[in-house]
Amino acid sequence: MTKLVLLCLKCIILCSTIEAVFEDQVGKFDWRQQYVGKVRFSHFDIHVQSSKKVLLATEKNVFAALNTRTGELFWRHVDKAGPEGNIDALLQHGQDAVLVIGNGRLLRSWETNVGGLNWEVVLDPGSFQSACLVGQQDTVKYMAVQKKTAISLHYLSNGHQRWIENLPESETVDYQAVYSGGNGEVYVLGVVPHSHITIVAYSVDDGEIIKQISVKAPWLSSIRASCTVVGQGMLTCVDSATASFYMLDLHVQPQMTQISLQSLGLDIYPGFRPGLLSTQPNPARPPLSEFFLQLGSEHYLLLQLNNGQIVSLRDFKPAMLASFATTGEKTVAVVMSPKNRTACSVNLFSADTGRRLLDTTLIFNIDPNGGKPEKLYVQAFLKKDDSVGYRVMVQTEDHTLTFIQQPGRVMWTREEALSDVVTMEMVDLPLTGTQAELEGEFGKKADGLMPMVMKRLCSQLILLQAWTAHLWKLFYNARKPRSQVKNDVTIENLSRDEFNLQKMMVMVTASGKLFGIDSKTGNILWRHYLDNIPPNAAFKLMVQRTTAHFPHPPQCTLLIKDKDSGLATLHVFNPIFGRKSHITPPALPQPILQSLMLPLMDQDYAKVLLLIDDQFKVSTFPSTKNVLQQLQEMASSIFFYLVDSSQGKLSGYRLRKDLSTELIWEVIIPAEAQRIVSVKGKRPSEHVHSQGRVMGDRSVLYKYLNPNLLAVVTESTDLHQERSFVGILLLDGVTGRIIHEAVQRKARGPVHVVHSENWVVYEYWSTKSRRNEFSVIELYEGMELYNSTAFSSLDRPHAPQVLQQSYIFPSSISTMEATLTEKGITSRHLLIGLPAGGILSLPKMFLDPRRPEIVSEQSREENLIPYSPELLIRTEWFVNYNQTVSRVRGIYTAPSGLESTCLVVAYGLDIYHTRVYPSKQFDVLKDDYDYMLISSVLFALFFATMISKRLAEVKLLNRAWR
Amino acid sequence: MSYTIRIQLLGLFVQVAVVVVCCFTDIETGPGASVSLQTNGDRFKIEGRAIVPGVKTQDWVSAARVLVEGEEYVGFLRMDGSFAVNDVPSGSYVVEVVTPTYKFEPVRVDITSKGKMRARVVNYIKTSEVIRQPYPLQIRSVGTHVYFMKRETWGWTDFLMNPMVMMMLLPLLIIVLLPKVVNTNDPEMRKEMEQSMNMLNPNPELPDVSELMTKLFSGSKGSSKAGSSSKGTRPAAKRR
Repeated sequence: MTKLVLLCLKCIILCSTIEAVFEDQVGKFDWRQQYVGKVRFSHFDIHVQSSKKVLLATEKNVFAALNTRTGELFWRHVDKAGPEGNIDALLQHGQDAVLVIGNGRLLRSWETNVGGLNWEVVLDPGSFQSACLVGQQDTVKYMAVQKKTAISLHYLSNGHQRWIENLPESETVDYQAVYSGGNGEVYVLGVVPHSHITIVAYSVDDGEIIKQISVKAPWLSSIRASCTVVGQGMLTCVDSATASFYMLDLHVQPQMTQISLQSLGLDIYPGFRPGLLSTQPNPARPPLSEFFLQLGSEHYLLLQLNNGQIVSLRDFKPAMLASFATTGEKTVAVVMSPKNRTACSVNLFSADTGRRLLDTTLIFNIDPNGGKPEKLYVQAFLKKDDSVGYRVMVQTEDHTLTFIQQPGRVMWTREEALSDVVTMEMVDLPLTGTQAELEGEFGKKADGLMPMVMKRLCSQLILLQAWTAHLWKLFYNARKPRSQVKNDVTIENLSRDEFNLQKMMVMVTASGKLFGIDSKTGNILWRHYLDNIPPNAAFKLMVQRTTAHFPHPPQCTLLIKDKDSGLATLHVFNPIFGRKSHITPPALPQPILQSLMLPLMDQDYAKVLLLIDDQFKVSTFPSTKNVLQQLQEMASSIFFYLVDSSQGKLSGYRLRKDLSTELIWEVIIPAEAQRIVSVKGKRPSEHVHSQGRVMGDRSVLYKYLNPNLLAVVTESTDLHQERSFVGILLLDGVTGRIIHEAVQRKARGPVHVVHSENWVVYEYWSTKSRRNEFSVIELYEGMELYNSTAFSSLDRPHAPQVLQQSYIFPSSISTMEATLTEKGITSRHLLIGLPAGGILSLPKMFLDPRRPEIVSEQSREENLIPYSPELLIRTEWFVNYNQTVSRVRGIYTAPSGLESTCLVVAYGLDIYHTRVYPSKQFDVLKDDYDYMLISSVLFALFFATMISKRLAEVKLLNRAWR
Repeated sequence: MSYTIRIQLLGLFVQVAVVVVCCFTDIETGPGASVSLQTNGDRFKIEGRAIVPGVKTQDWVSAARVLVEGEEYVGFLRMDGSFAVNDVPSGSYVVEVVTPTYKFEPVRVDITSKGKMRARVVNYIKTSEVIRQPYPLQIRSVGTHVYFMKRETWGWTDFLMNPMVMMMLLPLLIIVLLPKVVNTNDPEMRKEMEQSMNMLNPNPELPDVSELMTKLFSGSKGSSKAGSSSKGTRPAAKRR
């Protein structure tokens, strides 16, 4: 018992030594940006006249409310990722918003003011088709959800089902839409493609079929694509083949009338599928009789249905986007048309006449580095003089939301592409001109003593000048109120700070938009949209040249690979300014299997990128003569490996002098029993400071530091909980030698792995005990080092000692990464992203296979923590305190100029940046360093010595007189 | 030897018996009866309520979520703090209410293939241990999350309580105060002190080291001693 108490005490002592965030450090060097993802549905809160809320439902299964004044989130609800949380429809009624989720599986009603849930109900399974609000006598009390085979009516107040009815002949008829005009009936519209339309009318009260009609429509294939309900229940369809409208009154006659477009004086562009857009401002009333017809990609028409006749109100050509907006009783048509190359203009038109409303022009400037406008969401409101004012939210192809007020003032922009960051790098900022000048002085060859002295004096003078300018600025700003001081970082004044803590974050998003973000403030400094990205592309970002080689600009290369075809393209750009480089990358006609950065440099200090295609041919970028020559000299020491997870094959290749390749090893992992989940090597930028560990008896246990070591993780294909397992294979990437193999029985993935130094940490789910477990493997050479000067995979006769230990972790994890510092002196922490949103900084000390079960004198000497099976999650260890990061997908760590400091970026739905100090700040004064105390003590001591000196003198004098 | 084994066996048996009894009691008081068997195929619903004492629900529900086994199933809180996670197949799950501000203890919920539910305390080490909790869940907040360390502030008490300072101050006190407390002029006291000094010096015959040293040095420099004494008298004479 006493032992246990002691153990606990020791744990507490150890824990208390670990760095946490202090409360006054909040926001000092960390920031968070919250995103919602690409918007699928958006509604402005029109219930309250002065509302500043817009509701967004996104493709990331997020439902959020934004403040329209600032673009910030009021609240946000993040549902489960994947198809089960997919938002199918958003219906808004008053204060409540109803979502249809997971292919019609759930209905959820949210209270939009606070963001709390009103109710949630489960629906019967079935493929969701459409949903609409159902009104009766000017009040909206129900909503209808139509699925492939059934329709159900629900109360909006509590979600209870009023009735559910099976749709007749649902095997043959494809029901696609539901419509209600507020007259106590719900219409379900179905189609048998190229045969007929079926319309079933249900009574709202009891779900009884009032009537069922079918009308011949051999030209129609999809109702959703080409039909809409206009006016007093007039189903209107447009067909491109016959170039005509077909109209059918839902209430009266079972017959279609055909109106050819030519009679309206219109032509259809060949090959374009026309579309219709109508509006139903109040679900308890039928839709308006005005509607848009889209004839071409830039051609819209505003039409009106008038006594069965279609009248053209206005022709918009060219027009990019069109939409309706309603406020009070007024409905306006909003049309965006291109103005010139860089700007669009948005105008309001009266919906019933097509007349342009005066003073309603709004200019939208298209970002040259962004995408084209894709959707237009309009917030209309009544001004004091009863005219209609409006603001628009424009969604562009690159998922950007821009909110604009008249006459074109951008109130805010949200880069929703950043909700899906795929990969990132941190690049050092360049030196300023003066700093570069100083650096350059040392680079040049000495040209005599006197010129050197002069040069030095000059540069010192420049520094002095810069310093005085800086002081002056400080003084000048100090007089202004704090809010007015502009601390804007722009590309022009970017420069490296003295500890290299501020860097440029280059982020690559799945949509193909690249961002350059200042790591200190989180400001987006540049953006660049690549518009030809295949939808399922894989990205690999590489820094070819850092900023260290002035005057050569830094250079990043992005490898974009289509996952289906394997074909790849290269995008070469400057990571500081985001501009595309003038260097033309080579065209890659063959699918690329592997790419690797070599430590070689060409004469312009750009690292060489080696690309291996599916013919096992090697190409380099840059491919100058110099590079090829260097490569030939190096060829015998260049090895690479390929992973084929579908066949379970790992193979190692060697580069020959003539730049052909040769297979040297192959490891087959039987694909029917297990599949390769991930292969992790070490980070090339990693430094290991100490070669070994000092033991309790003062001997040294040397680490097995093989830079070519690969950790291969496999999962069993059999997912039965008794037979599933997780395997880990440590493999030398050069020789193919298997160093170690471990199998975790009764375990399954997802497995998260971190591989660094001489250790591998992995996390898996134990199916037997139903908990998450961590396991750590450490490799040691033993008490003697075989060849201490250089490591060679080819000459390593002794197998390393392997130590392993496992622990229980009381939470599942999203992702895991290890901290990284400049020289590797600082102790390591594991950064663990938790599903609850925290980022836990767990000292590696807790994951040490040498943790003893019984405490001995030696283990105490070594500072080993006694083994305890459960790892703790302490909220003090959360590096992001209450700034939760949703759906963490990756954590990026980068060293800073200070050995104690590691820069951390966590990205997922949100982006969070902070600094961590795994061994506390040992190389700089802490930010709470008490200058007052130290100076007061110094002064006090100084005065005390003065006074005591004086007193001593007096005393001596007195004694002399005696 | 065999005796100890027997005891162990006995212990094991008792344990088994306890476990069996546990199982039985579980079945008897199965809470499944009270659960509305809303089955959708083989999917069930985990219900409960989260309570933060003394805080209005609308202040925290919009930031809260219910996570079942990580993010495998997600539920949201209603305006009154109650929640339901739909579409959960049978199995054993850890249910957690997460908010950035308030802390809730996780609960393990077991769902049988027939839809019977029970809630128990999460124990990752002894996974089969059953400490029952009410179902539908009643999860009460156990306080707020502590994210921050307290800054060490400098105060006089910290300074004074520092062991180094204490070590310096205590002897100082003794030096200053002790002569005042103990009256040295009292002859009895002096005798007593002398005695105690003698006690400290266990062997009076053993010559004192310092004495020995002085003797040694003075012995070698006997002549100089006289000189120095004569020197010492000279200034006295001058002064006169």
